[in-house]
Amino acid sequence: MNMLIYGLVTGILFGFLLQKGRVLRYDKQIGALLLKDMTIVKFMFSSIMVAMVGIYILKDMGLVKLDLKTTILGANILGSLIFGLGWGLLGYCPGTQMGALGEGRWDAVWGIGGMIAGAAIHAELYPFLKNTVMTWGNYGKITLPDVLSVSHWAVIPVFIIFGLIVFIICEKKGI
Amino acid sequence: MKSSKDSGWNPYLAGSLTGVVAILSVWIGDKFYGVSTTFSRVAGMIEKYIAPERFATIEYFVRVAPRIDWQFMFVIGIFIGALISSITSKSFKWVAVPDRWRSRFGSSILKRALFAFVGGVIAMFGARLADG
Repeated sequence: MNMLIYGLVTGILFGFLLQKGRVLRYDKQIGALLLKDMTIVKFMFSSIMVAMVGIYILKDMGLVKLDLKTTILGANILGSLIFGLGWGLLGYCPGTQMGALGEGRWDAVWGIGGMIAGAAIHAELYPFLKNTVMTWGNYGKITLPDVLSVSHWAVIPVFIIFGLIVFIICEKKGI
Repeated sequence: MKSSKDSGWNPYLAGSLTGVVAILSVWIGDKFYGVSTTFSRVAGMIEKYIAPERFATIEYFVRVAPRIDWQFMFVIGIFIGALISSITSKSFKWVAVPDRWRSRFGSSILKRALFAFVGGVIAMFGARLADG
């Protein structure tokens, strides 16, 4: 029961901030894909930069464990290409469409329906996917610091510098 | 808070605060943000209800069982949080066809519905395949 309340409260805070950041809109999502309005990229990178530092500090203190997904190149690359195609058509991603509906953008309903159908199709095809795409390039639960054999504190600053450069470019171009 | 033309918050600030919430979520609840598994669970709930025999044959719904968990509530929370934020800041607005779509593809609700639905099918299939 506690976990359900945690989930609800975390979701409410997340949805509140997504709405405040104005990233729930079709125009913003498509704007990012067209590289014309980078609001979402600014929001997302800021979030990742803060979270990666905080979570790794907690991990070093032994307070949290990472929850790694398996790296399977076939499934990851093919899946993300397919995802991008659908994202461009719909203009919302799975989480933001829930928030878009919350601020009255009810075309998100079509996306939610489509996504439930898409999840059902995935479940139907799972036995096939498991024996094909999901066996191509399975590297297990790895992280970038593991692969490079360096401390995560060598990787995190590189990502942060990259993010800051992206921010500077966005601000200079006014996008 | 810094206001822009449409009175939203600075995206760097709102994004950073989202990062802080993510840290607290991992620390307090041991939970990382995620959304798309919930769509599999909901698909399972619907299939279990309307086609229980078919449901029973699908291996994936054993792995990802149709139940209400942390992430399901997180997804519901996103809706509620955006509703609270938009109503309290008077930025809630009923929109059937987004502006950028309208200027490119016209104001037909049916056309928008069709492309959004198909886009949703494709996007979620890809997301589940990539395990995102």
